[in-house]
Formats: sequence, C-alpha cells, structure tokens
Amino acid sequence: MSEIALELRRLTVDIPTDAGMLHAVRGVSLTARRGETLCVVGESGCGKSLTTLAVMGLLPEGAKRGAERMELAGENLLKASPSRLRALRGDRMAMIFQDPMTCLNPSLTIGDQMTETFLHHGKGRRRAALDRAVALLERVGIAGAAGRIGQYPHQLSGGLRQRVVIAMALMCEPDVLLADEPTTALDATVQLGILQLLAALQREMHMALVLVTHDLGIVARIADRVAVMYAGEVVEEGAVRAVFDTPRHPYTRGLMQCIPQPGITAPGTRLGTIPGLVPYLVGEVAGCAFRGRCPHAMPACALPVPVREDAAHAWRCLL
Amino acid sequence: MAVPAVSAPLLELRDVARTYRVGAGLFAKKRVLTAVAGVSLQVGRGEVLGLVGESGCGKSTLARIILGLEAPSAGEVFLDGRPIGSIGRLERGRLVQPIFQDPYSSLNPRRQIASIVGLPLDVHGIGTAGERRDAVAEMLALVGLAPHHATSFPAQLSGRQRQRVAIARALVLRPALVVCDEPTSALDVSVQSQILNLLMDLRERLGLAYLFISHNLAVVHMLAARAAAMYLGRVVEQGEAQRVLTAPRHPYTAALLASVLTPDASLGLPQMRLGTVFPNPLALPTGCSFHPRCPLALERCSVERPPLRQVDGDGLVACHLAQ
Repeated sequence: MSEIALELRRLTVDIPTDAGMLHAVRGVSLTARRGETLCVVGESGCGKSLTTLAVMGLLPEGAKRGAERMELAGENLLKASPSRLRALRGDRMAMIFQDPMTCLNPSLTIGDQMTETFLHHGKGRRRAALDRAVALLERVGIAGAAGRIGQYPHQLSGGLRQRVVIAMALMCEPDVLLADEPTTALDATVQLGILQLLAALQREMHMALVLVTHDLGIVARIADRVAVMYAGEVVEEGAVRAVFDTPRHPYTRGLMQCIPQPGITAPGTRLGTIPGLVPYLVGEVAGCAFRGRCPHAMPACALPVPVREDAAHAWRCLL
Repeated sequence: MAVPAVSAPLLELRDVARTYRVGAGLFAKKRVLTAVAGVSLQVGRGEVLGLVGESGCGKSTLARIILGLEAPSAGEVFLDGRPIGSIGRLERGRLVQPIFQDPYSSLNPRRQIASIVGLPLDVHGIGTAGERRDAVAEMLALVGLAPHHATSFPAQLSGRQRQRVAIARALVLRPALVVCDEPTSALDVSVQSQILNLLMDLRERLGLAYLFISHNLAVVHMLAARAAAMYLGRVVEQGEAQRVLTAPRHPYTAALLASVLTPDASLGLPQMRLGTVFPNPLALPTGCSFHPRCPLALERCSVERPPLRQVDGDGLVACHLAQ
C-alpha cells in the first residue's frame, strides 16, 4: 500500500445562517495516497467543494471547521499556524478550480504568475523558476511555451488557461493536487485532453490527485478510488470498479440510472430519476439523509446508520 | 392551430449565414467574424432535430436567428412556409419559443411564477384574466409544479423547479417549435434526467417539435430523430440521429462521440488524437476548417473545402474521406 498523502477523519464544516447552523459537511473521512486518483463525486450542495476548501484552509469567513484528524503527508494540518498553512499551500498542496480565471490575475503575465509561488517558497532563483515554468508549460501541451510566458491570460483560450493553471499548481511538485470541477466549463473534446493530462501528471509526479466532480463518467474513467457524497456525508466509498460494478447505496444506484449513454440507453426511453429534494441541513440532522428520497426507506433509517463494508468498498446504508 | 395548406416544413433554413464586423483594436481595421456560414436545415412538425457542436460553432447564433432575435446576413429562414421577416413579433411568438440554459438568469427575479408563466398570454391579450389564471395553473401542473408555486418567486425555487418554470413559460402559448439551447447543461445529473423525461413527455402530449441544441451527444441522442453536427459555423454531418450520434462518419462528430465519458469503470480515458490548436474565427483555416485538428487530414483537406454531400440515403457528410 503506498504512502498516505492526505488523510481526513470526521471532517465537519458548519456555516452559521440566519435560520441556524448549516451542517454542510458532516463527518467526512477520506484517504488519498500518493500515485492514486481519488474522486469525490456528488451533486450541487453535497459539500464536496467545501471539503477540499477545508483541507486548503480556504473556507469562507464564518465557516467552522472541525475534525478528528487532518494530515498532509504526516503533518497535522489542524495544528498548523496560518503562516505554516501559507507555506504549505502552493508547495505541498495545490488546488485548481472550475474557472481558470479564478486562479489567474488578468494583469500579470503567465510567467510572472507561474514563478510567483516558486519564488515565494524559496525553491530557487528567478532564472530557475522561468526555466521550470517553460518546461511545465511544454509538458501540459502548450506549444511555443517560451513565447507564452510573456502573454496575459486573456490572450489564451479557456482550455489553454486551464492548462496554465495546472502547470502553475505543479511548479513546486505538490504531494496533493486538489482539482475542483477542473473541466466543467470546458468543451467535451477539450475536457478529455485536460483529463488525460491530469492522469498522466499524477502518474509521473507520483502525487495524490483529489478530483471533485459531479460527472460519474469522469469518475469511472480516471479514478482509482471514489467517494460518493450526499448531503454532507460520504455515503459510499471504495475502489472504482467495486463502486461502479456493484453500487450498494441507493443514491449511488439512483445517480447511475440518470445518465444517458449513446448506444446503450434506447432513445426515447425515460431515464431514471431521484424524486424529491436534497434535505435541509440546518439544525439537527439525524439518521440517513437520503431516506426521504429513497425507494427502500424503513423506520430504522431514522436512527444512526452503520457503515457496512465488503472487501473493496464501504457504504452507509442498512441494506 | 391552423394547418397550412401546403405541407411545408415547420422550420426551414436555406444557406443561412451570419457575420459580425468586429474591431480588432482601437485603430485596427474592422474584421469580419463568420459565426454561421451557409447552414441549411429543416425541422418538420412534431420532429426533434438535435444540433451538436462545441462553443463557438455557431449553434447559439443559429438559435437566435430562428427565434427572430437576430437577422441572418445571408440566406432565408422560413417558419411554417413563410419567410420569418414577414411574420410579426407576436405571431412569431406563437410559432416558436425558446428554453435557455441557465434557469437562474432567464427568469425575472421580481415576478411571481404565475406572472412569469402568464406574461406571454398577457402580451398576446389571450383570454380573460380568469382564463389566463386557469391556463397558467394547467401549465404548471403539466410541467410538474405544485399549485402553491404560482405565488413563489424564482429565488425560492431550486434549479430544477426554475427550469420547469422556463419550460412552462415557453409552452403556454402552445408553440409548434421550441428551440432548446443547452436546456440541461447547467443542471445536476439527477435533475437533468427529470428535465429530459419531461421534455420527452411534453413532446408526445403536445406534438411539439424541438430544435435541441447541446454539446452533449449523450443527451441529444435521447430525444432527436435527426441530428446535425456543426463546426465553426458549418454543418459537417447530418442525418438520422442514431447513425450520426452512434456511428458518425465525420472525424469531428467521431471525436465528439469519443469524448462522451460513459460511466463504465472497466474503460479508461479514451485516447483521442485531436489537435488542441483552435482556429481563430477571424481567420478561418483554408480548405476544411477542421483540418488543423483532424487526425486523418490529408494535404487535400487544407486546400479544398469538402462540400456537404450525400453518402447514403438521408445522410450528409462534409469530409473528403467519407465513403
């Protein structure tokens, strides 16, 4: 078993609202190993993005984080000072987002932005930083990289910008790369190129890639392990083949039936649906959060739900 | 709705083009951007035509032209056999209505749902106040919203409910054609499946025709009887949907199909040898516009533009290599 790069135990994120405390992330435990891709999958509002922001120490103001354990390559992040976190961000852990422009400063050149973290973390001098930036831009498939470092973000297409952001995140060879919906804003053919790139870089640099997405198709094709989140909890977790071939949680199964597949789903047939709405997470939330929408719900689902497991995966359901 | 004497297609585009003059800089000469270049398509009554393509291929410009929001620079658009320019704004609204991608920005946040859905009836002066109220209530029920939603505001609804409101508003005038421009792209998968099912149900119940525009081939294949793929303003492949979307013959349509990631964990990421160099729409490549990215391109492809030609029965492909 390879080295653990990131470990979360019972992470919670609570957000105060006018109506009371919103329990957005409720006891999430995840383990990401070096050389492995962990996908966190779920729909809007399931807490997947907040989970990664909590790791980075970038939660919105007012949000309260709690955890039993949160370790980055053995270092306790719960005890890290703000200055230590700043030293780790961009160096040992890096993050990329859906919209590359959230990471890029429109008024600085690509080269200045790429070298900034490298120089900030004292990895070398400017010359070395520029050389690494050019090498990484070439690696992420940007032709004429030496010429590109003098350009500004607006001179690049969306797909190229996301490649720049990936290159920037890798300047210091992080242990963990967190990617939050990195291809959602991109066209399908461009998305595939970015995913191939992330998969290749993850192998080459032997880092842990934590990819957050709502797209089960991406998960199936890129993940080693997958965690399915619903209403702030991980409801199913395990090796990707186990979760996709024998999904055990009714939510995971429901999601899979919602996806149209050319050549497999007959045109005109009705797709599966998950009736009902996501539960309200303000105040006390007890039992299985999915029971209001679950076709198999029974009275016992209102009680705390045990985690069940087989050899390759675990799920939070009585069934 | 009156059936026209001649059985003209509901929608017909003949060599439609749309160009824009754009400034390249403060003092630079204006240049011409070609968003749509000579597109011919037809949609029959009750038929679903799927239109696939990626950002910048001109599919949304085409939607705006069909909705009459924009005039073509060249070519002709016929709705119900009549030139679109000869149809007044109100009458056009009864023939064709849009459903857009973003249910957050397409609904007026200051109006109640009943008022949003009923607005087209008010504008057209259809029925008495009581009849309009009934028509709105019927429409809300048809799209699966509860009666109490009538007095809600958009901010009080979820994304799926808002998209249902947008659909109700589009259908309240009982148009013959609905232009759906990426109607599920902003939605979660479990919501997308509900909206797709609803669109299929409504089509069967109301005999609607859809022009269904999406970058997602998997979504289009659920609804469309015929499909067309667009690349840089041109239709590159067109024909029976099952064939175009599951056994495409144009390398671009094939690349789109290859980039659909089905949730099959026994497969890895597909290999696609597609160049990432995007052509500048202000300076389109010579020959076939797809040739700089095409894995199969021959020398001929950079010189001679392949015409959209018939390859079998109803199928049209614009590729020198298609048999």
